[in-house]
Amino acid sequence: MSALLEVRHATRRFAGLIAVNDVSFTLDDGEILGVIGPNGAGKTTLVSLVSGTLAPSEGEILLGGRRIDRLPAFRRAHLGIGRTFQIMHPFPGLSVLDNVTVGALFGPGRAHIGLAQSRSEALACLEFVGMGAVANRRADQLSGPGRKRLELAKALAMQPKVLLCDEVMAGLNSVEVDEVIAIIRKIRDRGIAVLVIEHVIRAITGLSDRLLVLHHGEKIADGAPDEVLASPAVIEAYLGKRRA
Amino acid sequence: MMDLLSQVVANGILLGGLYAVMAFGLALVWGVLNIVNLAHGAFIMLGGYLAWHLYYIVGLDPFLGLPITAVVMFALGYVVQRGLLNLIVRGPMFNSLLITFGLEVVLTYCAQLAFSADFRAINPVYAGHSVSIGTVVIPVVRLAAFAVALALTVGMWTFLLQTRLGRAIRATAQNLVAARLYGVEPRHLYAVTFGLGIALAGVSGALYGTVSQINPYIGASLTAKSFAISIIGGLDNPLGVLVGGLFLGIVESLTTLYIGPTYADVASFGILVLVLVVRPSGLLGKAA
Amino acid sequence: MKPWRSKPWRIAALVLALAAAAGVPWYGSDVLIQFGINALLLAVLAQGWNIIGGYTGYPSFGNSVFYGLGGYGVGIAMVKWGLPFAAGLAFGVALAVIFALTLGVLVLRLRGHYFAIATLALSQVMAAIVSNVPLADRNIGLVLPPLNNDPFFYELALGLLVAATLCIYVITRSRFGFGLIAIRENEESAAVMGVNTTLYKVLAFTLSGIFSALAGGIHAYWITFLDPDSAFDISLNVKMIIMAVFGGPGTVFGPLVGAFFLSAVSEFLSSEITSIAGLFFGLVIVAAVVLMPRGLADAIRNMHPLGWRYFASNVRAHRL
Repeated sequence: MSALLEVRHATRRFAGLIAVNDVSFTLDDGEILGVIGPNGAGKTTLVSLVSGTLAPSEGEILLGGRRIDRLPAFRRAHLGIGRTFQIMHPFPGLSVLDNVTVGALFGPGRAHIGLAQSRSEALACLEFVGMGAVANRRADQLSGPGRKRLELAKALAMQPKVLLCDEVMAGLNSVEVDEVIAIIRKIRDRGIAVLVIEHVIRAITGLSDRLLVLHHGEKIADGAPDEVLASPAVIEAYLGKRRA
Repeated sequence: MMDLLSQVVANGILLGGLYAVMAFGLALVWGVLNIVNLAHGAFIMLGGYLAWHLYYIVGLDPFLGLPITAVVMFALGYVVQRGLLNLIVRGPMFNSLLITFGLEVVLTYCAQLAFSADFRAINPVYAGHSVSIGTVVIPVVRLAAFAVALALTVGMWTFLLQTRLGRAIRATAQNLVAARLYGVEPRHLYAVTFGLGIALAGVSGALYGTVSQINPYIGASLTAKSFAISIIGGLDNPLGVLVGGLFLGIVESLTTLYIGPTYADVASFGILVLVLVVRPSGLLGKAA
Repeated sequence: MKPWRSKPWRIAALVLALAAAAGVPWYGSDVLIQFGINALLLAVLAQGWNIIGGYTGYPSFGNSVFYGLGGYGVGIAMVKWGLPFAAGLAFGVALAVIFALTLGVLVLRLRGHYFAIATLALSQVMAAIVSNVPLADRNIGLVLPPLNNDPFFYELALGLLVAATLCIYVITRSRFGFGLIAIRENEESAAVMGVNTTLYKVLAFTLSGIFSALAGGIHAYWITFLDPDSAFDISLNVKMIIMAVFGGPGTVFGPLVGAFFLSAVSEFLSSEITSIAGLFFGLVIVAAVVLMPRGLADAIRNMHPLGWRYFASNVRAHRL
């Protein structure tokens, strides 16, 4: 059985700089894959390659066995790729509910459903992440944690098969982190495969089924969290060359 | 035939140098302050009138009077930025377009009221003289204007890249906090930058008055040309603006000769569109 | 909620206003009718611009091209080919659509002020090209068959304005409108959420062009004269932008209000203080951008709770 999402030898160059270098990995149905690595390791670039914000210089990306790397972002959204942005980009002038409604209206790529139905689906997504109460507030009035959840709700409204989460826990206190972990688990229970980029090691190790480690754009480890974190290459790259 | 071609190219180069000076001020303000100044041409026009009055009323040679023009226009620009434009800087960028449009209307009308709509030119006594390089005839005035343009390019480049104030201005283009690190208050820095841009516009207007005619309405088309040059050359790079100016000058001259004068505009704007579509950062600007 | 704010009252008020407007040819003076036609056509242009500039967030300086194409469509069809007015209008619209589809794809790739400049450059190019095309009688201008029936043009212009406003109203309640607003607020995000941004942008541009072309066609037949400079006049584009932005971009009635208000002010100033009318216009624009950057509609809505502090808060929010 082929994996749900497969990335083969993905490479992305910018003038003079190789941001992602020959990275290959798979993501299976119902799996939570954690992606870690020092700043500048290429994690967000990798996610952008999958979501379609950037096109790969080389390599292939397959969703359900079908190549998507040449498709524009909105088509990939229709096929089931959802993502959150690390630097949060709500639609500032719209209400929280309308932000999510965009996803419900345009995400699934099925026949056009009406505005009213989209709104109620959007509300359901907001309640799923615990934001039902602020549905009518303007999106740019939300606080940091609120915005992170909004990103999640927006992505969910698109009924994705694969959800790419880019640092949804950054800047949250430990209570908020636990809440987000719970939400991601709920998402997985709904049958959505999740790729989570994070810096908060504690959170990601408990949450992930597998860990992928990037360093200078290259994959240096891929496996069960305990094994990966114990590997010397990872310790050296990520945690620094400090000796105890 | 070659003679005609060289003459036309020479004309284009001389004109282009002047165009480049016009565009500098616009590119500086746009690149650093993110203000799209639709009134730029109106300030060029005002500079021209200032130089005209300095020459015909006070008797000061237009080239010798350039520093005075520069200082007066700088002060004007400083006041406009500090008193008016600073008020809208943090709003949507489109507002700078609108407010400068309004400013352009106001300035043009004031000029029309004060100076009437007649065409004027600044003709110093040496205006009729020219030098010959081979078969190419170059009016002395145009040559002097070109020399000033070159000097200003080098000066601007040095200023922006080498001096502390210049680097502070460039840092401001990145972010305001960085500007504060240079120890300069942002409102003042913004006003200084705009003042510089307007001083450049004024000087180019004075030069323009010596090689061509001015009246209150020349602002709009000169703004358009400055835009074209800034984009074609690339906003971050004084050298790029110079290249853009020369490029436009030569293209205009050649188009006028080989296709017809009405097509000069088509050529310059057509190229502008091409550049925008193919390489929005300009010929010499940093790639996106 | 106060009774006169409720929906039935609002609809009644609208219908009344519409009836009053439609009745002008009967009770109004000739001058009023002519002012009306100009103001109505400007309002159509402002509304047209609203679609691409206000809702989609792409400030187009190229709508004057559509206006000119509409005018020349009517001119060429009627003068050179002897076709009736309606056919001329259709031809003008067809030209506008072709232009929007082919060049729109190119320039809509650009963002913000680059898009603005590209469309500005395009309009200059078009003006220059048309003044060199034999079919358009080059620079001398086309003279159309006269029709001395101002009321006809008035009602036509009014009908067009109603159509444009209705169109925008429908858009705001549709999936298409949602997509446009999403593009305006955050285009990258919109794409990732499944909006076909290129298609939507081109559609918005084309729709906006159609209304501009129709306005241009009506205007051409009304004044029976057409030449490249006035047909593709860039100051017209600036006017429509100012009116739309002054009134309130991205709203259903904003540009309409802006167009009428500014037309009236301009008319009043021209008759009372002719020599400095334009000067006041410029000052009004400068003051408006500083004090009410979100437009007249927003100012009116907020005047009641906030009063004069509305202006102060705008300045404080946007100043350095």
